[in-house]
Amino acid sequence: MKNQLNFNLIFLAILGLLLFSTSFQSLHAQKVKKERVRLKAKYIKVMDGEIYLDIKVTARVKRKNIKVSNIDLTIYNKVNNKKIKVGETTTDVDGESKFVFKNLNAIKPDSTNTYNLIISFKGNDTFKKAKKNIVFKDVDIRAKLITKDSINYISAILIDANKDSLVSNQSLTVQVKRLFQPLFIGKEFIITDENGRILVPIEEGIPGIDGNLTFEVVLNDSDDFGTVKAIVEAPIGVPIVDESTFDQRTMWSPRNKTPLFLLIFPNLLIFSIWGLIIYLITNLFKITKS
Amino acid sequence: MKNNNKNSRRKFLDKGVKFSLAAVVGGIGLSNIASKLNAKPNESSGEKIELMTTDGTLVEVDSTEVTEISHPPKEDSNKYNVREGFPNRKFVMVVDLAKCKNALKCQQACNKGHYITGDNAWLKVYKMQESKETAPYWMPTQCQHCDQPACVTVCPVDATFKRRDGIVLIDNERCIGCRFCMAACPYSTRVFNWKEPDQGEITLGTEYSPDYAGYPSVKGTVDKCDFCPHQIVKNELPFCVTACPNGVFYFGDKYEDTVTNGEVTLRLKKLLEDKAGYRLMEGLGTEPSVYYLPPVDRLVDFKEGLDKYKKFQSTEKLQ
Amino acid sequence: MKSNDKLLKDLAPKKFGKLGVIWTCLLIVIIIAGIIAYIDQLMKGQIVTNMRDYALWGIYISNFVFFVATSFVGSVTVAILRLTKNTWRTPVVRIAEIIALAAIVMAGITIMIDMARPDRLLNLFIHARIQSPITWDVIIIPTYITLSFLLLYFPLLPDLAILRDYFKKDKPTLSKWYGKLSLNWKGSKVQKSIQTKSIQIIALMIIPVGLILQTIDAWLFSTTYRIGWDSTNLGPYFIAGAFVAGIGALVTVVYIIRKAYKLEDYITEFHFDKLGKLLVLACLTYLYFNVNEYLIPAFTATEDEATHLNTLFTGHYAPLFWFVTIGGLILPIIVLLFKKGRKPLPMFIIGLVVVVASWWKRYLIVTPTLLHPFLPIQGVPESWHHYFPSVHEWLITSATLAMALLIITILVRYLPIIPIQRTADEQEELLKTTKNAEQ
Repeated sequence: MKNQLNFNLIFLAILGLLLFSTSFQSLHAQKVKKERVRLKAKYIKVMDGEIYLDIKVTARVKRKNIKVSNIDLTIYNKVNNKKIKVGETTTDVDGESKFVFKNLNAIKPDSTNTYNLIISFKGNDTFKKAKKNIVFKDVDIRAKLITKDSINYISAILIDANKDSLVSNQSLTVQVKRLFQPLFIGKEFIITDENGRILVPIEEGIPGIDGNLTFEVVLNDSDDFGTVKAIVEAPIGVPIVDESTFDQRTMWSPRNKTPLFLLIFPNLLIFSIWGLIIYLITNLFKITKS
Repeated sequence: MKNNNKNSRRKFLDKGVKFSLAAVVGGIGLSNIASKLNAKPNESSGEKIELMTTDGTLVEVDSTEVTEISHPPKEDSNKYNVREGFPNRKFVMVVDLAKCKNALKCQQACNKGHYITGDNAWLKVYKMQESKETAPYWMPTQCQHCDQPACVTVCPVDATFKRRDGIVLIDNERCIGCRFCMAACPYSTRVFNWKEPDQGEITLGTEYSPDYAGYPSVKGTVDKCDFCPHQIVKNELPFCVTACPNGVFYFGDKYEDTVTNGEVTLRLKKLLEDKAGYRLMEGLGTEPSVYYLPPVDRLVDFKEGLDKYKKFQSTEKLQ
Repeated sequence: MKSNDKLLKDLAPKKFGKLGVIWTCLLIVIIIAGIIAYIDQLMKGQIVTNMRDYALWGIYISNFVFFVATSFVGSVTVAILRLTKNTWRTPVVRIAEIIALAAIVMAGITIMIDMARPDRLLNLFIHARIQSPITWDVIIIPTYITLSFLLLYFPLLPDLAILRDYFKKDKPTLSKWYGKLSLNWKGSKVQKSIQTKSIQIIALMIIPVGLILQTIDAWLFSTTYRIGWDSTNLGPYFIAGAFVAGIGALVTVVYIIRKAYKLEDYITEFHFDKLGKLLVLACLTYLYFNVNEYLIPAFTATEDEATHLNTLFTGHYAPLFWFVTIGGLILPIIVLLFKKGRKPLPMFIIGLVVVVASWWKRYLIVTPTLLHPFLPIQGVPESWHHYFPSVHEWLITSATLAMALLIITILVRYLPIIPIQRTADEQEELLKTTKNAEQ
C-alpha cells in the first residue's frame, strides 16, 4: 500500500513534469518582448456622404516604421463613463482600416454634445495592447456656388449641428478636386468670420472634364470637430479638349494609322516592282515549256 | 498473501513502467506539437526560388515558404486599354532645377520600384555645364515622353507606342531588339537588356503588362522610364516624385492644368510662365512632355551635390 | 567548231586543285567558329559583344552596311555598263553578278545577327510599320536578292545547256543537274526573245532598285538626330561609296580568278585598264561627297559637329580615318590615273586596299557618332565610354565574310565564270565583221 502510494506519487510527478514541458513552450514565447503599436485615427465626415474613421496602425520595429496588417480593432463609444461597443474592424494589408458609421445616431454624445470614441487593440503575441481616443463635436458645412457680377464664388457656412449655432474663427480650405492632389482656391486657409461664413472667388479658366468641376470645402483635422468636407459640383470649368494625335495619321502612329502618303506611294512602287519580278519568273517557266 | 502482494506489486510496477513510458513518449510528442504551434514551420523541400525583397536585395528562399497571394484585381483594369491610356488626360512633368541637390533619392526609388538590375538607370541626374562661362547645375533626366517621339516613329514592329494620355511605353514581348529606337532618341534615355536581367522571380504569376515597365525586364529588349502608369492607376504619383526630398519633381495632367510634387499643388501654365519653364532640345521638334524650370535662386550651392556624384555608376549592385 | 571547243575547255568549270580545297576548308573552319560564337551569343545574350547602351550598334551594323554597299556592283557592271553600251564588260559580268548576290544575301543574314531577339523575326512581317526605315530595308533587301538572282540566272541559261552537253560523258550526274537548271534551253528563237526581253527588263529595273537599296541603307542613319548621321548628304554619299566598294571588290576577285583559272586570254590588260578607269571615276565621285560630308561642316564648326570632326581628324579615330581616306581613296585616285597603275597587279593591290578601307570606313560611320550623344555620357561604367569589338563579334563577323567568300567560291566552282555563249556569240560577231571588212 505504501509502495502503491509511492508509485502513484511518482506517476503524478512524471505527468506533472510532462505538462510543465508543454506549457514551457508558451512560457518561452512570452519571454519575447512585445512591440508597441501606434494607432492613428481621423474622424472624417463628408456632408451628405460617408461618416467614417480613417485608422492607420504602424509600429517601429528594428528602427523601421512598418505597417501592421491584419489585427483586430474594436471601437467603443464612451457615454457617461460607460463603454458601449460600436463595432469591430480589421486592418488590411497596408495596416489601414476604414470604419464607416451608418449614421451619427449610432453613437451618443455626452452632455456637452461631444462624442467620445475609443479605438482599442487587445494586443496579440507580437504587439502590446493599445488604444486611441477620439473626441469631436458634430459640425456641418453648408457650401454652394454663387455667381455675382459674372464672378463665381464658393460660399460656405460652418454650423454646429447640435446647437444650430454658427462657428467662427475656424480655418477652412476651399479646393478643386484634381487627379492626384486638390488645387487650393484662394489661400490655403480661410478663416470663417463672425457669422461662420466664408466667401471665396474662383479664378477663371480652371479646366474640367466636360466642364464639370468638383469643389470641396474642408475643415481639415480640427481639434474640436475632426475633418468635415462639403462637396459642390459646378459645371463652370473650361471643357477639356483632347489634343493628342492619337486618332490622327502620323509618322508615330501604329500601323493602322499610317500617313496616306506612305500607304500609297511605297505600296505602288512595291507592287509594280514585284509585279515585274513575277512576270520575269513566269518567263522562266515559259522558257522551260517552249 | 505475500505472493499476492508481490504479484500486485509486480503488476503495478509493470503497469506503471508501461504507463510512464507511454506518458513520456506522449509528453515528448505533446511538447513537439506545442513547439510547432508556436514556432514557424521549418521543413525544407530543397527547392529554392530566387526572390527580390522590398529593399532590393536578392535572396534565395525555399519554395515551400512562398505562397501566392491573389492580388485583388486592379479596379481600373477595365477602365483603359494599355495601348490607348487613361482617357481625358495628358501627363506632364515639371523638374525644378533650382531645387535639385543631386540627392539621388529619385534614382534610388525608381531603381527599386522598377527592379532595375542593369548598369544603366532609367532616371539619371546629369552634371550639366553648357560652357565654362555658365553655371553648372544638376539635371534629372528620364524619358521625355515626347509628343513627336522619334523612337516610336522608327520602331519597325510597333513595340514602342505613344498613348492618348501622352505616355510612351514599350511592349517587351514584341520588341525584337534592333535598338533603332535607342539610336533615334536624342536624350539617351533608353537602356538595353544585353543579358538575362538578374531580377530573380519578382512577378510570380502576375501577367506582364507594358504599363509596369521592368516587371519583369526581358532579355534582348529595351527599357525606359514609363511615367509610372501603375502608380497613376492607384491615384498615386510616380516613384521619383514621391521620393524627392526637395520637391524637385512636379507631376500632373496638362489638361487639368495642375501639377503637384506631393506637397505643393500648382497651376501648370502659371508655374511655367512665372518660372520661365522650357523643354530640353526644343529645337529638335520632339515636343517633350517634361518641362524644366531654370536653376535660378538656387536653394543650395551646386557643389553640395558633388559628394553624391558618381560618374561611372547609376545603379546599385545587388548583394 | 574548233574555236568553240577551245572556248569550252577554257571556260568550263574545273575541279578544285589543292589550293582550292585548302581555301574552301579554311572558309568552312572560320564559318564554324563563327556559328559557335553565335550560338553562345544566343544563349548568353548580346552581352558577349562589346556593344553597350551608348555604342549600341557596332561592327555587326557596319559589316551589314559594307555588304549592302558591295552588292551594288551587280547594278553597276551589269546594268549601268550595259545601258551605256560598254561591251568590254562581258568577261567580268558574271563575276560581278556572283559577288552582288553573295553580298546581298549575306547582308540579309548579317542584319539578323544584330537582332537581339531573332526568335521574334516574324514580328517584322506581322506587325510591320511602314513608317519605319527598317521596314523599308526589310522590303528592299529581298527585292534586290531576287533581282540579283534573276540577273545571274537569265544569262546563265544558255551556258547551263552547254555545260550539260559538255559533262554528259565524264560527269553524268553533274550534267543532269546542269540540264535541270537550264530549263530546257534549246536556243530557239522564242526562248532567246524571252530571255533577251527579260534581261533588258532586269537591267532597267536593277538600277533604280539598287539605288533605292543604297539610299534606304543611308536613311537608317540620316533619319536620326545624331551628329554625323543627320546629314542631307548621306543618300548620295552612300551610293558613291557603294560604287567604290563594289568595283574594288570586283577588281580583287577578277584578278584572283584570272590567275587561278588562267583566263589571261579573256580578261586582258585592256579590261583592267577599263576597270581601273571606272574605279577612278567612282573614287573621284566619292571624294567629292567626302569633302561635302567632312570638310564643309568644319567651316561652321557648330559645337556638336566640331566634337565629331575632331574625333575623326585628330582624336581617337584619327589613324583609322586617315588610313581610310588617304589609303582607300586618295591613293587609288593617284595611282590609277596613270596607265601603269591600271595594270593587273597594281590594280589588285589597290582593289584590296579599297575593299579593306571600305570596310573600316563603315566602322567610322557607325561608331564615333554613337559615342558622343547630345547629353554627356554619365552614370555608366567607364568601359561604356569606348567601343572595340569583342572576340565574339570578330568571330561572327569573320564568319559572315567567310560565308560570302564561300558562296562566291562555290558559284565560281560550278558556274562558268565568263559567259560562254555570249563570248562565243561575240567572237562570231567579231569574225563576221572582220570578214565583211576584208571583203
